[in-house]
Amino acid sequence: MRMKLKVMDNSGAKWVRCIQALKGRKGARLGDPIIASVQEVQPRGKVKKGVVVYGIVVRAAMQRGRCDGSEIRFDDNVVVLVNKQGEPIGTRVFGPVPHELRRKKHLKILTLAEHIA
Amino acid sequence: MRLEKCWFCSSTVYPGHGIQFVRNDAKIFRFCRSKCHKNFKMKRNPRKVKWTKAFRRLHGKDMTQDSTFEFERKRNRPERYDRNVTMETLKAIKKIDKIRVAREARHHKMRMKGKKGIEQKAAERELEQGISLVKAPLALREESSLTLSKIKVKVSQPQAEYQMEE
Repeated sequence: MRMKLKVMDNSGAKWVRCIQALKGRKGARLGDPIIASVQEVQPRGKVKKGVVVYGIVVRAAMQRGRCDGSEIRFDDNVVVLVNKQGEPIGTRVFGPVPHELRRKKHLKILTLAEHIA
Repeated sequence: MRLEKCWFCSSTVYPGHGIQFVRNDAKIFRFCRSKCHKNFKMKRNPRKVKWTKAFRRLHGKDMTQDSTFEFERKRNRPERYDRNVTMETLKAIKKIDKIRVAREARHHKMRMKGKKGIEQKAAERELEQGISLVKAPLALREESSLTLSKIKVKVSQPQAEYQMEE
């Protein structure tokens, strides 16, 4: 809630502010969907400033446990904007993404990703 | 399942242990425990931290090149399961470990060679210089058995006095 997240796709937004975590009692973690408000945009983007969008957290600085017992964490907090159905608004995704997304059925983001951690 | 190496201390990370940190350039750093992870966050260079394998290899404390290390190379091609191959591999692992440990012990021995001589010499010197800590000098002079044998050196005494008077 009220957390600034970077946007790492080419939907046009630069960063968003989380207004609601759709999953998780204490907050959304790696791989969870959120509702966010767009705070800053690039000049000619698909989204406008102040618009309420959905997003999926693809990189989180907080470590997330994996089912084999290990933990993974990234360097920053990054979100990818999606529509209500879960399909990404942009056409490219930058940086590494975790393969937790596979289990959550966000396959489109995985196919667009540069590197799967 | 794969046994990884800790980025900081080079020990094996078994499944269920440790943290992996993915940097934004997609480089993955694996750590075996929070000690290594915290040192990494402090931006310490493992080559300068004394207890890591990187330091030890760099400073010649541990073996660097050996044919037993070739067996542990990372191979990205998955092997088709063959029961005999697996059996042979398990036996080979044990034998290779034994050989590697023996070679490391030999390396250590070579490194420590001559240490005993140096220690002996240092002990002799300390005894000679610091005997007054143990026994009073007066007592030593009376009991000749407690001192080390003194070496007689000729000193031209009168000439020195003559020079001083001058």
